[in-house]
Amino acid sequence: MTKDVKLGADIAAPKRRKIASLDRKKARAGWLFVLPFILGFIIIYLPMVYESLLLSFHKVSIVGGDAGGYTTTFVGWENYMNALFVDPDFVQTLVSGLGQMAFDIPAILIFSLFMAVMLNQKMAGRAAFRAIFFLPVILSTGIMESIAAQDILGEEIEEGGGIDTGTEENASEQLVSSMDLERLFANMKVGTELVTYVTTAINNIYDIVNRAGVQLLIFLAALQSISPAIYEACRIDGATSWETFWKVTFPMISPMILVNGVYTIIDSFTTESNEVMVYISNVYSEADGDVLSSAMAWIYFLIVIAIVAIIASVMSAFVFYSRKND
Amino acid sequence: MNSQNIDNKPAVKRETKNRIRVDFDRTPLKERLKAKFLSFYFLTKLVYWIFRLVLMVGISYIVIFPFITKIAGSFMAPEDFVDVTVQLIPKNFSLDIYRAVLTELNYWSAFATTFTLSLSTALVQTFICCLIAYGFAKFKFKGRNLLFLLVILTMVIPHQTLQLSMFMEFRYFDLFGIIKLLKGGGIEVFGHNIKNLGEGVAAFFEKLDILPDEIKWGAYKTARGMTKYKVQMDITQAGINLCNTYFPLILLSLGGLAFKNGLYIFMLRQFFRGVPDELEESAYMDGSGVFRTFVQIILPLSIPMMITVFLFAFCWQWTDDFYTNMFFSSTEVNLLTKIVDIPNSLKTEYAGQALYYTAIRNTCGLMIILPLVILYIFCQNFLVQGIEHSGIAN
Repeated sequence: MTKDVKLGADIAAPKRRKIASLDRKKARAGWLFVLPFILGFIIIYLPMVYESLLLSFHKVSIVGGDAGGYTTTFVGWENYMNALFVDPDFVQTLVSGLGQMAFDIPAILIFSLFMAVMLNQKMAGRAAFRAIFFLPVILSTGIMESIAAQDILGEEIEEGGGIDTGTEENASEQLVSSMDLERLFANMKVGTELVTYVTTAINNIYDIVNRAGVQLLIFLAALQSISPAIYEACRIDGATSWETFWKVTFPMISPMILVNGVYTIIDSFTTESNEVMVYISNVYSEADGDVLSSAMAWIYFLIVIAIVAIIASVMSAFVFYSRKND
Repeated sequence: MNSQNIDNKPAVKRETKNRIRVDFDRTPLKERLKAKFLSFYFLTKLVYWIFRLVLMVGISYIVIFPFITKIAGSFMAPEDFVDVTVQLIPKNFSLDIYRAVLTELNYWSAFATTFTLSLSTALVQTFICCLIAYGFAKFKFKGRNLLFLLVILTMVIPHQTLQLSMFMEFRYFDLFGIIKLLKGGGIEVFGHNIKNLGEGVAAFFEKLDILPDEIKWGAYKTARGMTKYKVQMDITQAGINLCNTYFPLILLSLGGLAFKNGLYIFMLRQFFRGVPDELEESAYMDGSGVFRTFVQIILPLSIPMMITVFLFAFCWQWTDDFYTNMFFSSTEVNLLTKIVDIPNSLKTEYAGQALYYTAIRNTCGLMIILPLVILYIFCQNFLVQGIEHSGIAN
């Protein structure tokens, strides 16, 4: 027995070496392909992160004039202390911002999953609906977001009763009155928290639709990649579509729920409309050369990365990976 | 009963049309209609169909409605904003706002600049992300997972966190301290600031020429022993000012570090993983190199996906105001995101001023996204297709 094994190992040895050399060659090619990122990371990104971290422990004053340099003085934890204990609004904004995030993320995830399932079905005008649903991904970013934030046309008119150029709230109110919903839920005897959650989500539907675009795309792609054979088998075995969804579709796309969850967290705390982000950039633009904003941003970032890590680890316990993956 | 009627299909498989008709004629029309439309199955389908249609149309309405109001407002004359009877359709139709935006706000020059910037960064980003993603998807090497984690990290740390240091990095750009070395290494003459290098597009190429000239010039002076130029700036902080040029954004794109590039890399990586290995294997067998295989076989395959990424990169750069505000502080560089302003000829002091100004700003926004809408109409097929074929779930 042992001899046999040894013999086998002897035979296998040269073969393995050959494969290893091919692997090395491929590994080299891999490094070459990834090289732009490595270079960019080392040359541009790491100094940036390091600098930012360093700056948050310093006071900066920009030297004007032809030379145009800047000088820094080390102040230790002062910026962090200022951000946490001296600045009156930061902690408050932070807490309410995180609360908003806890509200937004499930709403966006559920909405995008629901709409992806809808858009995946065959129906008339599906292409048109898809085109419309992805419109905000492309158009409602950056400058458009700040223009929309200044859009007082709707609000003014709502009070004065002029043109009905409804803003988002107006539009959603026309679609569903949240009062009606509240009454409906009250009759169903569910908890008030759930009722307020759902009604607030419906009132913010415009915001949610706007921010669910990429998640919708990812879910749609995930749904498309589930083999139709599985659904056929389910149908033959007599499963209803409800059962099929929970027993087949849901486990199959659960990795993408994780991905989308993490993406939504990241996205919602880096968008410019996020109140903490707005606050930090206000501090940045107000105080010329003050690096309080840098310290705040790092506090914020550390909190959010902790949240991402916790949620990702909890969610990944429930994720189903089909064996095809690896 | 009803369901029985439905199931009562002809038993024999090979039927002529005639035979089927005979079969149907046996059950009266009323019965057949009843069987079809009064069944529980049909009713649930109908209810679901209506529910879905209402939901789809409703949400489409929510998405489109702000655009409709913006468009409506953009055609209105100032009087309409104080008129209570005016709803979505303007009473005094006017193109004043559009005319003013086009003529007074330098729309076309801003358009050209933004177009060049967006196109160049989007092309670079698409190509670089393809390279990186292909490396991650198809090659096994040590530390691959760690590197990919770093890619995710670049996505996780918001660039707002790095705002100050990113600005500093490109304001005093210095590659490996080469410029510092040039300045500190005996060439004091060179100590004067190369600050006015290339502002805007016009100086784009000029800039590339100037730098070596300056260095030669500096060295020449030192050789003659003329060191009358004083070092004006702190040597450790010396560097080139890259602000108000395309370089910051191009450099970020070259490293795969620009806005949402982590997402692109992730998407493309999933796509490339779905491409069967046999394709490359056979190409290698035929003696094609790794890069040739990539360029000639893999890239043509992934055109829908690349168009998707390109569309994202292009549009997000087009409407971006975070990076452009940070890097293009000079008024000489005219970008579309900066034209949002009230034209002088439209400045008024009357009751509906606030609303009118909002309408003007909205019109600016519309003018900014108009090219994107046109692009989107042409590319949206690719967007959905590209994503569908990506097989992200694998």
